[in-house]
Amino acid sequence: MVVGDASGAGPQPLLSVRRLKVFHGKFEAVHGVDMDVGEGEIVSIIGANGAGKSSLMKAIIGQVDRVEGDIRFDGQSLAGRATADIVAGGIALIPEGRRLFPSLSVEENLALGWEVGRKGEITLDDVFELFPILRERRRQKARELSGGQQQMVAVGRAMLSNPRLLLCDEISLGLAPTIINDIYKVIPSIRERGIGIIVVDQDIGRSLAVADRFYCMLEGDFSLTGRPRETDRDTVMKHYFGL
Amino acid sequence: MFNGFLNQIVQGILHGGLYAMFAVGLSLSVGVMRLINIAHGDFIVLASFVLFTLCTALGISPFLAMLIILPPAFVFGYLMQHVLLQKIVGSSNILPMILVTFGLSIIIENGLLIGYGPNPRKLLAGDLQIASLQLGGGVTVGLFPLITFGAAVALIFLLDLFLYRSRIGAKIRAVSDDVDAADLIGLSSKRIYAIAMGIVAMTIAISACFMGIRTNFDPSSGPTQLLTAFEVVVMGGLGSLWGTLFGGIMIGVAQAVGAQIDLAWEVLAGHLLFLLVLVVRPQGLLPKE
Repeated sequence: MVVGDASGAGPQPLLSVRRLKVFHGKFEAVHGVDMDVGEGEIVSIIGANGAGKSSLMKAIIGQVDRVEGDIRFDGQSLAGRATADIVAGGIALIPEGRRLFPSLSVEENLALGWEVGRKGEITLDDVFELFPILRERRRQKARELSGGQQQMVAVGRAMLSNPRLLLCDEISLGLAPTIINDIYKVIPSIRERGIGIIVVDQDIGRSLAVADRFYCMLEGDFSLTGRPRETDRDTVMKHYFGL
Repeated sequence: MFNGFLNQIVQGILHGGLYAMFAVGLSLSVGVMRLINIAHGDFIVLASFVLFTLCTALGISPFLAMLIILPPAFVFGYLMQHVLLQKIVGSSNILPMILVTFGLSIIIENGLLIGYGPNPRKLLAGDLQIASLQLGGGVTVGLFPLITFGAAVALIFLLDLFLYRSRIGAKIRAVSDDVDAADLIGLSSKRIYAIAMGIVAMTIAISACFMGIRTNFDPSSGPTQLLTAFEVVVMGGLGSLWGTLFGGIMIGVAQAVGAQIDLAWEVLAGHLLFLLVLVVRPQGLLPKE
């Protein structure tokens, strides 16, 4: 179901997904979905646990067993490309659970983003400007940081790979509400750089508040797409739970 | 009596340097790739034979031969990981890892037997092998064991510096921390593993040079080196470089003390100490943080 004007990515979207099926072994986690993301656009993907959101993210970044259908980034097919190649081409993932390297310092974790990514204008100083606490903690091991600070490092690491498309997978998971607010405040400022952003989160309220468009996932399909301001909470919840 | 005992302890410490050299590559394999390489000792022996052939054919010193084979050793290790070992790392099932590396061990051992025969060989380093130093207090040390110990410390220091002060080192530690996360952010674990195995192969070439000068070797010497290397790695703490040096020294000293009691106890004392550490401190004496 589509609510309001769901188009928005423009005639030449940054990311274009068509009839995408995602498989984990023989299990089909995503059943032929279509999705677009434009430059500087924030797209939210909401859905309950097991709806297929993370599978979709992993398919885009090239980390699933098998996909069918078409994923195009900037007009180029991502089929068969290794994750390292996809990241170097301009897509970065903030993984679920942050996935920092605990024995590496904050600075080393951040530097890895620069090393693996597309060389661009975002520097370590830009990240420290966004998250000043990380400048103070730059020599500390990642495992010594609080959950919120770790998430800041994960965001900073992804930004330092100078992406044109940023995938944020469950960025509020396990964090205190004030920290989640801080993280979400940063997202619009990332968009201002022309970076397209996909936000995957179970926190529906925050996720929709920041998004230009949204896709609601239910059991591997999109059950609802549209613009957050052109729908109401009841409609979203109905499609979220499949009622 | 006391001076004799002290002398034996010093000899044991110096011998521990050689053991640490055997083990440092294995420690990297286990620490970074979780790769239990049953063929590690055989690769040391293989490298010793390569050095022996180069020294014999070109009439050069083993140290020069070692410097010559370091770059090809890196390439060999890189390719071996890329082509073969990559297929067996990263799985929770360790059976393929054991079977493949055990197979490599058999191939190397029998290949060397066909090529060189069963006779023991030795690398010749001239007067260096017999020179000694009086340290006072009745302690006399061979110059070569002293150099070997110094080389082991230098090797571990350089590896530590490389891992903790270089960009590639940070990537190796990242992959060692969480290989799946590395792949998720676009850090290709396959490439990093290959680089790490290239470095392991270089440490094997270095330890082969010192082993070949210090002791006789033949095609079937590999399992003995492997056993010592495993004990050293486990005693020091899996993946801990300085722990490897400490583990090597402990085994060396235990063997020296054992030999003081009875020559038959020399090797056994090392194994007994290993078992004791395994029971009392299974994480090793200086575990990686």
